Amino acid sequence: MVNDKDDSQRKKKESIVDLSKFLDKKVRVKFQGGREATGVLKGYDQLLNLVLDGAIEHLRDAEDPTVIGDETRNLGLIVARGTAITVVAPADGMEQIPNPFANADEQ
Amino acid sequence: FGKRRRGEMTSTSVNPSTLLPLELVDKCIGSRIWVIMKNDKEIVGTLSGFDDYVNMVLEDVVEFENTPDGKKVTKLDTILLNGNHITMLVPGGEGPEV
Repeated sequence: MVNDKDDSQRKKKESIVDLSKFLDKKVRVKFQGGREATGVLKGYDQLLNLVLDGAIEHLRDAEDPTVIGDETRNLGLIVARGTAITVVAPADGMEQIPNPFANADEQ
Repeated sequence: FGKRRRGEMTSTSVNPSTLLPLELVDKCIGSRIWVIMKNDKEIVGTLSGFDDYVNMVLEDVVEFENTPDGKKVTKLDTILLNGNHITMLVPGGEGPEV
């Protein structure tokens, strides 16, 4: 028991994710509050703050802010706050699919 | 025990050749910066400084409220912007299209 506590104190704070594999790649970042942005990852730190180059923000529908539409706006070189980030994913690995749970709702 | 310089961490696996986000913000001190909040609010101002929590001191501030589309609430003097709700920072940015 005491050994466990020592171990967790002795172990240095290492990140559980490795963003170096995303460097110079296009990533899609989702934020608390529903915003989404895409950009080339140029830098990051331990707190998950990101530097994105050529970033665009995906705008939401005016009527329904939970829906991400097709409209975007250019932001350029930005810093994304790690405190607000929920998801970092490769931009090329994503596609929107129809709701697979739609039938379950009707039952 | 000295205060660690911002950006330097023990045991970090961050390659030093990548651009540190807070360094980019630091370079922006003295210039205009566009701050996008988690909600539909955006702030453009001249960056005087910021702290470890990225609370920011801004001057000549213009505030944009996105949804009601009555954008622009202009404030002057100096404001302290609470960093809690900041989502994105655009150095040198002019703000959203009017």
